[in-house]
Amino acid sequence: MINRIKIGTGSCGIAAGADEVLAFFQENIKDIDIVEVGCIGHCYAEPLVEVETDTGSYFYSNVQPNIASLQRILNLEEINQLTFPKVRKEKELVKVSRLAGRINPVSLEEYKANHGYKALTKALQVAPADVIDQVKIGGLRGRGGGGFPTGMKWSFLAKHKTGEKVLICNADEGDPGAFMDRSLMESIPHQVMEGMLIAAHATGATQIFIYVRAEYPLAIRNLKIAIEQLQNTKLHVIDGREIVITVKEGAGAFVCGEETAMIHSLEGYRGIPRFRPPFPTDSGYKGHPSLINNVETFANIPVLINEGGEKFAEVGTEKSKGTKLFALAGDLKYSGIVEVPMGITIGEVVYEIGGAEKGSVKAVQIGGPSGGCIPEEHFDTPIDYDSLGKLGAIMGSGGLIVIGKQRCIVETARYFLDFTSRESCGKCTFCRVGNVRLLETLEKITSGNGTEQDLEFLEDMGPKIINGSLCGLGKSAPNPVLSTLRFFRSEYLEHVNEKKCRALECNKLVNVYIDKAICIQCGACLKTCPVNAISDDFIVDNTVCTRCNSCIEVCPKNCISRTAGGYHE
Amino acid sequence: MNKIKIRIDQKEFSGNAGDTILKVAQENRISIPTLCHNDKISPTTSCFVCVVKDVKTGRFLPSCSATITEGMEIESDSTEVFEMRQAALNLLLSEHGGDCEAPCTIACPAHAQVEEYVRAGKNGMTLEALKIIKKRIPLPMSIGRVCPRFCEKDCRRNVIDPGQPVAINEFKRTSADIHFENYLEELPELSAPKVAIIGAGPAGYAAAYYLRLDGIGSEIFERLEKPGGMLRYGIPEYRLPKAIVDKEYAHLEKMGGITMHYNQELGKNLQLDQLKKKYDAVILTIGSWKPGPMYAEGEDLALGGIHWLEMIARNGWTGENPGKTIVVGGGNTAMDCVRTAVRLGSNEVWCYYRRTEKEMPAEAIEIQEAKEEGVQFKFLSAPVKVEKKGHRLAITFQEMKLGEPDASGRRRPVPIEGSEYTVEADTIIAAIGQQTIPPEGAKVNRWKDIDANRKNYHMEDNVFAAGDCVTGPATVVEAVAAGRIAALGVKAYLEGNEYQEPYTINVTRGLWQSLKKEDLVYLTAPVERTREALEFISLYDRKTSFKEVTLSFTVDQLKKEGERCLECSCTDKSTCKLKKHAETYLASPDGILGVKESYNADTRHPAILLDRNKCIKCGTCVKICKEVVNKSLLGFGNRGFETNIITAFGESLPDSCADCGECIENCPTGALGWKIKS
Ligand SMILES: Cc1cc2nc3c(=O)[nH]c(=O)nc-3n(C[C@H](O)[C@H](O)[C@H](O)COP(=O)(O)O)c2cc1C
Ligand code: SF4
Ligand code: SF4
Repeated sequence: MINRIKIGTGSCGIAAGADEVLAFFQENIKDIDIVEVGCIGHCYAEPLVEVETDTGSYFYSNVQPNIASLQRILNLEEINQLTFPKVRKEKELVKVSRLAGRINPVSLEEYKANHGYKALTKALQVAPADVIDQVKIGGLRGRGGGGFPTGMKWSFLAKHKTGEKVLICNADEGDPGAFMDRSLMESIPHQVMEGMLIAAHATGATQIFIYVRAEYPLAIRNLKIAIEQLQNTKLHVIDGREIVITVKEGAGAFVCGEETAMIHSLEGYRGIPRFRPPFPTDSGYKGHPSLINNVETFANIPVLINEGGEKFAEVGTEKSKGTKLFALAGDLKYSGIVEVPMGITIGEVVYEIGGAEKGSVKAVQIGGPSGGCIPEEHFDTPIDYDSLGKLGAIMGSGGLIVIGKQRCIVETARYFLDFTSRESCGKCTFCRVGNVRLLETLEKITSGNGTEQDLEFLEDMGPKIINGSLCGLGKSAPNPVLSTLRFFRSEYLEHVNEKKCRALECNKLVNVYIDKAICIQCGACLKTCPVNAISDDFIVDNTVCTRCNSCIEVCPKNCISRTAGGYHE
Repeated sequence: MNKIKIRIDQKEFSGNAGDTILKVAQENRISIPTLCHNDKISPTTSCFVCVVKDVKTGRFLPSCSATITEGMEIESDSTEVFEMRQAALNLLLSEHGGDCEAPCTIACPAHAQVEEYVRAGKNGMTLEALKIIKKRIPLPMSIGRVCPRFCEKDCRRNVIDPGQPVAINEFKRTSADIHFENYLEELPELSAPKVAIIGAGPAGYAAAYYLRLDGIGSEIFERLEKPGGMLRYGIPEYRLPKAIVDKEYAHLEKMGGITMHYNQELGKNLQLDQLKKKYDAVILTIGSWKPGPMYAEGEDLALGGIHWLEMIARNGWTGENPGKTIVVGGGNTAMDCVRTAVRLGSNEVWCYYRRTEKEMPAEAIEIQEAKEEGVQFKFLSAPVKVEKKGHRLAITFQEMKLGEPDASGRRRPVPIEGSEYTVEADTIIAAIGQQTIPPEGAKVNRWKDIDANRKNYHMEDNVFAAGDCVTGPATVVEAVAAGRIAALGVKAYLEGNEYQEPYTINVTRGLWQSLKKEDLVYLTAPVERTREALEFISLYDRKTSFKEVTLSFTVDQLKKEGERCLECSCTDKSTCKLKKHAETYLASPDGILGVKESYNADTRHPAILLDRNKCIKCGTCVKICKEVVNKSLLGFGNRGFETNIITAFGESLPDSCADCGECIENCPTGALGWKIKS
């Protein structure tokens, strides 16, 4: 007996075509409830449909909007049925995202039916200071990147006894490749709201801003619906204070995720950071004491309050408690969102959960573009704030990009620095100019014109940029360069001294070569080459070739390849 | 209220809660450089030149914004802090576009303030111009006539009128012609030490002059019977009348404290070791007076160019008609010889040169004027033999072709086998450069020139040397530049120090050859006018007399010509904080290289120039306009490397800004400036 059908229509689902599936199902199924839900984290399998039956749920992956696909689902056939990778199930610890993708995001009832707002009720029954104590006991640290102890931050706001106090939810999520916060807001907006309302009680805040990037329309819609539902049910009245909750759309500058820049942006000014102290908890939005926490941090709160600080702290390592959501991406099998206990090793996440093939991985980039690159030999490192910091990486907000052996490490560093240098707000000399100079140096190296002095320049200027920048962007932008230089110096030296890119990725350092022993002279490559670099007797003129790879892709015999050794001015 | 105690560079200070580290430092006279800090506005925390190190946390803090805490330990003068500040300044310079100094001033070997004296001349203030000129050029009447005009070769006006730079040298000539005799600089009392200067040429003149300006007297010992060196005995009368040289040297005597001794030759009636003992310092400015060899058989039959000119000079620029004359060589001395031969009545004068006209080291204008006067040229011919042929001479040349470029970048002449030919002449002059005859006891380098430290022209002990005798034959302006440095070297030496030129930086938009009209930045749109022409005496007079060939510009001509100047230097060059700190922290525009953003200067406002190329993005102007003036007419545009200052709605600043100018006064660089230079 099928009770209802859930279709994942988070942004990830929609991107894979869940909209069409939804429309098709709605048209063709009349007697069963169809519910839109958020994301359960298995993004590689979208569009994803869950069939709730009396005997449990069945999941279908890569669902098509056609009758055959629909029939199979209604018959609960095994074809296309998704069995979750077993290791993933074992290694994951789904607490914070437990309801994501399982409930209708915009149904307050459904959230309540799943213990929603129980934690708020519980919190309101105790004194604010007791709530803060629980958060401290739980050892929760900020999930937005810095890892600052949340309970302590709350107490900084709580100590101001009079006047307006402001809570800001940081939903700017600017790291490319990170989408945990989006997923939480789309899938379980009420859980984020509940966390904020508990914080409002604990700190005495009078007003809440949620600063969401404008590129997240679905999150914005769901948050706004949730706010309306709160207002209708008066849940937003905390200790007799009617909390004004406002969703602000950010224009998408990465640096606006930095707290002082965010405050400037909320105030209507250019989003540039300022020197701290004063910290926002003393002087923030319009001078009022203000507290900024990340979406995931707030989403943790109801879990923590429900189970109590001590229980919460049972998971994790000595200084990093609880679970963390990661967005897995890059060269691995199962990309998507995972929730894992703090202290799990990098290797477990990459190989066991992510399904990456052993031996195929060179490194992981943890912490987004400003994180660090950790090589394979350190994959037994536990994922917690302090261990990662020791390796020159950061926990960041939870981007985890797997870098396969086929990728060039210099190009990888260049790629990240290209992003951060563009996103600098332009205020600090070291960040604005220094990072561009690093980038130019990396470009020099990937184009085969680098020297060992260039490596020295990177190593000299990198730490100066870190020391001489105001905010976290500048302070971390050189991390990818410095960490790759630290762990993969030989690859840099190959570029510089041998004009060689072992990954064959740097266009200026490779040739394109046709193996005429295999070639069947079909002429496909000739036709596709946009610059006519291939002669009639199938020889590539590498002085003309732009290394666009079109011929390689089109060759039916796979006899065209990139080869080492060509150094071209 | 309780004071907060901190330590800066291991000394204890105290301040109030909320005070910044910078404030406490400043109150206690510890100097911390700042660019973007300004007491009138809230902190911008942008430049990071004010960084200091917090020893306990190991962090670097912008001292303008970081507040003091009890027990804080700050390091502000360590190597690490120095290097951080230097790096910040290098980075700022790497994105900085503009010209600190005008290219003409940079090009001038003496670094005379060209733009400034041209402006004075343009305004008819010729005495003012002369004063500026004499700060670096003590022989303006002479140099105003014979200088090869390094400044004009790099003049930006060439972008608009190719080949027609501002006629800079005429500003010297005219200003000096008018005022030289009546103007006497303010002179300090003479102090005790005495300096001996050997050689009364331009380098010796400059050394004596600048020593005297510092209150140090000197005695000049000259080999010949009159002063001037090459000015008198090398450069012909028609280019530099000797009456003018007399006036220049009369000025030196008028200054007092400088005594001339003539017919005193080192090694003959003058001994270096005795001079060393008798005087506190000795400066050798003996020039390069030995004609260079032709490396041709029988070359003794030819006259040495420089000797021949000296002979004519001693004769008061008269002499026998040399008949058919062949001058071998392609430099300025060769041109002086051929043109002198013409004036002595020869009607067949030839210049033979082993490369082509393009490679000739002589000034193009000299070659041009020689041709006008009837001199004939034969190129790609090198002398191999000179012999007697009856009462005449015969010289054999070998033909050459041009091969690979040599060290000087000019193509090397290669002999063609069997191409020899012989020509006859009455006079053969070898003008193949000159060499120094180093005095006994002088250190020499491998070119046999005197070996002196080029930073201060110190040779050894109390002996200095400057001018051609150190560099080999060069120009008058280079000799006076060296003479001045030698004077500074001596002065420092007498005070027990070693002179070192102060470190300066110069940001430049580049040589005019690399620029287009759109790249030029003007305070006022320059007039469209071609270069004022010099007036020449008649060709007949030129060929038959030693009268000066050209007439000086009139003051009216100067005024007109001055309007062609683009006033290339920065409006802020004397107050720019970026330049000042860069010089203190030894940063350089070439310290870190990379691309620069390039903006067209905003010249729309009648009185204000906004040149974003010079902006350090500190936003001081934005805050001044908003927080002090209450106007908010300026803001930020773009992000990251492309960050720049924008005006409200992209419009020109309103006219009323001309009455305020707070942003200009507070801009740490020349990005915002008044469109006027004083
Ligand atoms: C350049 C930059 C970008 C940031 N972007 C984000 C972001 O997108 N989301 C976020 O939660 N925190 C971001 N942060 C961190 C915030 O400044 C702040 O530390 C965080 O929101 C605090 O919340 P938490 O304590 O809950 O982690 C960013 C920081 C920097 C320096
Ligand atoms: S470090 Fe970079 S992004 Fe941060 S304030 Fe400075 S310039 Fe802006
Ligand atoms: S235009 Fe004027 S300031 Fe510029 S280089 Fe020429 S003379 Fe100097």
